[in-house]
Amino acid sequence: MKKSLVALVALAAVAAVGLAGCSSSGGSAGGKTTVTYSNFISNGGNEKNLQAIVDAFEKANPDIAVKVTTTDYANYFTKLQTDLSAGTQSDVFDVDAGSYATYAADGVLAPLDGVDASTYRTSVLDTYKTDGKQYGLPTSFSNVVLFYNKELFDKAGVAYPTKDWTWADEKAAAEKLTDKAAGVWGDYQPISYNEYYKAVQQAGGAFLSEDGKKAAFDDKAGTAAADWIAGKSGTVMPTAADGAGTADFDTNLFKDGKLAMWHTGIWMFSTLGDLPFGWDVQVEPGDTQKASATFSNAVVISKDAKDKAAAQKWADYLTSSKEMVDVRLKAGWELPAISDDSLLKPYLTAGAPANRQAVFDSLENVAVAPQLGANSQKIQDDVTNALGEIAAGRQKTADAIPSAADQVTALLK
Amino acid sequence: MRNPAGKTILYIAVSVGALVMIFPFIWTVVTSISPGASLTTTPELIPDNPSLAPYAELFQRVPFGQVIVNSLVIAVVSTVFQLITSSMAAYVFARMPFRGRGAIFLLYLATMMIPFQVLIVPLFVEMKSLGLINTYAGAILPTIASAFGVFLLRQAIGTVPYELDQAATLDGAGHFRVFFQIVLPLVRPALATLAVFGFLNTWNSFLWPLIILRDPLMQTLPVALASLQGQYSTQWDVLMAGSVISILPMFALYVFAQKYIVQGVAGTGLK
Amino acid sequence: MAIANVRPDLASPDRRSPRGGARPRQNRRRWAYAGTVAIFLLPSLIPLLAFVIGPMISAAWTSLHEWNLIGDMKWVGFDNYAHLLSDPGTQQAFLHTVYYIVGYLPLVYVGGLSLALALNSKLKGRALLRGVYFLPVVTSWVVVALVWRWLLNPSVGVVNYVLGLVGIDGPGWWTDPAWSMPSIILASAWKDLGFVMVILLAGLQTINQDLYEAAEIDGAGWWRRLFSITMPMLSPSTFFVIVLSLINGFQVFDQVYVMTGGGPNNSSQVVVQQVYDLTFRYGQAGMASALSWLLFLVILVVTLVQFYGQKKWVNYA
Repeated sequence: MKKSLVALVALAAVAAVGLAGCSSSGGSAGGKTTVTYSNFISNGGNEKNLQAIVDAFEKANPDIAVKVTTTDYANYFTKLQTDLSAGTQSDVFDVDAGSYATYAADGVLAPLDGVDASTYRTSVLDTYKTDGKQYGLPTSFSNVVLFYNKELFDKAGVAYPTKDWTWADEKAAAEKLTDKAAGVWGDYQPISYNEYYKAVQQAGGAFLSEDGKKAAFDDKAGTAAADWIAGKSGTVMPTAADGAGTADFDTNLFKDGKLAMWHTGIWMFSTLGDLPFGWDVQVEPGDTQKASATFSNAVVISKDAKDKAAAQKWADYLTSSKEMVDVRLKAGWELPAISDDSLLKPYLTAGAPANRQAVFDSLENVAVAPQLGANSQKIQDDVTNALGEIAAGRQKTADAIPSAADQVTALLK
Repeated sequence: MRNPAGKTILYIAVSVGALVMIFPFIWTVVTSISPGASLTTTPELIPDNPSLAPYAELFQRVPFGQVIVNSLVIAVVSTVFQLITSSMAAYVFARMPFRGRGAIFLLYLATMMIPFQVLIVPLFVEMKSLGLINTYAGAILPTIASAFGVFLLRQAIGTVPYELDQAATLDGAGHFRVFFQIVLPLVRPALATLAVFGFLNTWNSFLWPLIILRDPLMQTLPVALASLQGQYSTQWDVLMAGSVISILPMFALYVFAQKYIVQGVAGTGLK
Repeated sequence: MAIANVRPDLASPDRRSPRGGARPRQNRRRWAYAGTVAIFLLPSLIPLLAFVIGPMISAAWTSLHEWNLIGDMKWVGFDNYAHLLSDPGTQQAFLHTVYYIVGYLPLVYVGGLSLALALNSKLKGRALLRGVYFLPVVTSWVVVALVWRWLLNPSVGVVNYVLGLVGIDGPGWWTDPAWSMPSIILASAWKDLGFVMVILLAGLQTINQDLYEAAEIDGAGWWRRLFSITMPMLSPSTFFVIVLSLINGFQVFDQVYVMTGGGPNNSSQVVVQQVYDLTFRYGQAGMASALSWLLFLVILVVTLVQFYGQKKWVNYA
């Protein structure tokens, strides 16, 4: 017993000493500058595609090496915040439209000089501009469209959605297409803040007041939007008790051919691929006007980056180079936010769905994302919560919406 | 138990319970060999076209060999250290009185009473100043002492009859010999238990390795598996393949440790 | 302690000496004893001080400020604590946490004890069964949570189906605010049964079998043997399970995060979920630290009470 214990202790000691030196080497290797880049955009299947872009960049810039760290989206911001706290953040890192404002306000971003604004789509580029200074370059954009199952429409004898559809058309079609006995549902729209602020605009209202200091959805438009979204639960789409809102529930429902219409993002194109029934997309219908939710991701440069010029070279390449566009289009990896539509033509004929033009049509009426300030996450949680309560029938719209508006106003700083 | 009817009832109850226990594991395994399966629909316990494709894809997506080595190294070293440091401290708390001993034991327990989420940032800053970011040492050091282990072993040592210590000291043994030759052998079940749970905690640990290990080649298993969850959808079959592989070493260790945890009660040394 | 009667040089030296003046041999023994204690304690004490206590103190300092992890810290004194103590959301979180513990602890202890007793007796295939019952312990919460959400699905879940057979209309489980916490309790107790079983099994192994033989000779039945011999002899392990379950129960997080995320409508919001949200989602690390320290104080008091009470029922050798 004693001998083995001594051996164990010795082993542990040796291991400890050996491991203290075990680490991966960092820093620059003779003459070369290293730019560190941490991202979430390539996680989940596109790591090799990102590597292809990195390789092409390094070939064109032999004196710069790019070191990539990839984290899944759910945990990315935990890691980023810890890094920023300790000063170990990468030179270049990803943000999305929702989180950009926080980091800009915290003063951790370096302003970008000499950006050719005409290269990018104006609305997306402006998302990452604060006080006239450009802080981020958009890597990709996506929007939400209406997906539909052609076979179910044919069976029920309903005409396909057109660009001119309104809520009324959508509702009528959904009711006709719902067949609870057969387990077929007419229209799925997530009950969340992201759907709501856009629906308010579709109804002709606004989520926040002009000066951004008060909630403005406690009115006819906001109430109509709440009823529109929450009212679908149980009538034309499954309820939360059935599983609506859980991971992949809507994806599986559509893939199984049990869902006629589906509000979701264009990122689903490659996930769905070819399905046994025909499917296509259309611009989302509005009520008094159209408003499509547009999301984007961007890269920013850390204020503490050692070689900002090299970092910006990489950021430029990642967001606007032709090689990047080729890689993305070939892999079906989201849309780059460049303004040159001719370069994006291959996207339109890249396979299902056929009406990819709807993606660009939707950009004609973009739903403005409200600036929620430091309590952005809490506001989103509260609104999603309120909508959930209405959908479950535990609260009436007339009570829940004013109460949510008060909560939001209190949280706006 | 001499009542055969009672024994049968017990057997049935325990077996039914076992089925309930094993059900999620079966679901996990079946999902891992059903390409394209999802955990969010009604489970199918019999796979349609079983195939090892998800495992192949897992090895492609993640540098699996390296990841398992990382997890093993960190978990094994951590567990060995926990066994050593915990048993030694537990001996003091059970057998070596001094003024303030109770307060220090409470200090040990206190380290279990604060949620780790709030310690991450200060701990990370500390590791940075020690230059241990992205190193095995950085991942292991916060885990080498375990208040849980100290507590567990203190209870175990407390059950060792004091007369045994006294008999040894009468023969001229000092504390070290009493500890190594009398006490430790008698708390083997507790040591084996600590080995299992210490390994389990470190093996499944997620938040700290996520933060301290940056290089994809330094990642541990839970962190590597998390990268399989995309922003919009998850590949359940591949994720479950990873979960199955993750469970296996744990389970092997448990089976191996069973021998020590359930040693025959061949007397307690008083005879 | 008795040891002083047998080997005075191994005991903590008595400070009173019969004659005044220096007693070098006594002092040397005192230092030798202190040195031994140090050698035994330091390997665990130093890491704990450096890697847990240190950060805890840092968190206490943070709790007196407003901080979003990135910018400068802004001093607010005890404002964070004042806000938390009067905040109904925080009070709810504490209540839910206590609710969790009250439901979870009896279930997991009684279940674990029954298992340990059953699998300690000479049952055929008990080694295999012990392994099977341990499987949930090593399975990650991601899988377990999904399984239980499916089991407790109000419309297609097995549980409500079985209840329906007996004529009971099953509740909404994790989609219903009134049943979200019970759902989490059930899943947690189920998952941790194996853990309690292993701890208690180890404890059962150390019970001297002679005691049972003597009791049988005296004609004691099974029930009597359980309460007069097993439970008292198992009390150190029981104490361990209860103290640990309380410490961990107050910090419950993983399962809530994965099963309900604190919902629906914050009905299953627990304290550590709030700490996490405050730190990483709402940018209020100061408030999060204050909340953690409040929780710490609660756990400390509860644990102290148990330690003082152990003299009444825990039997050490």
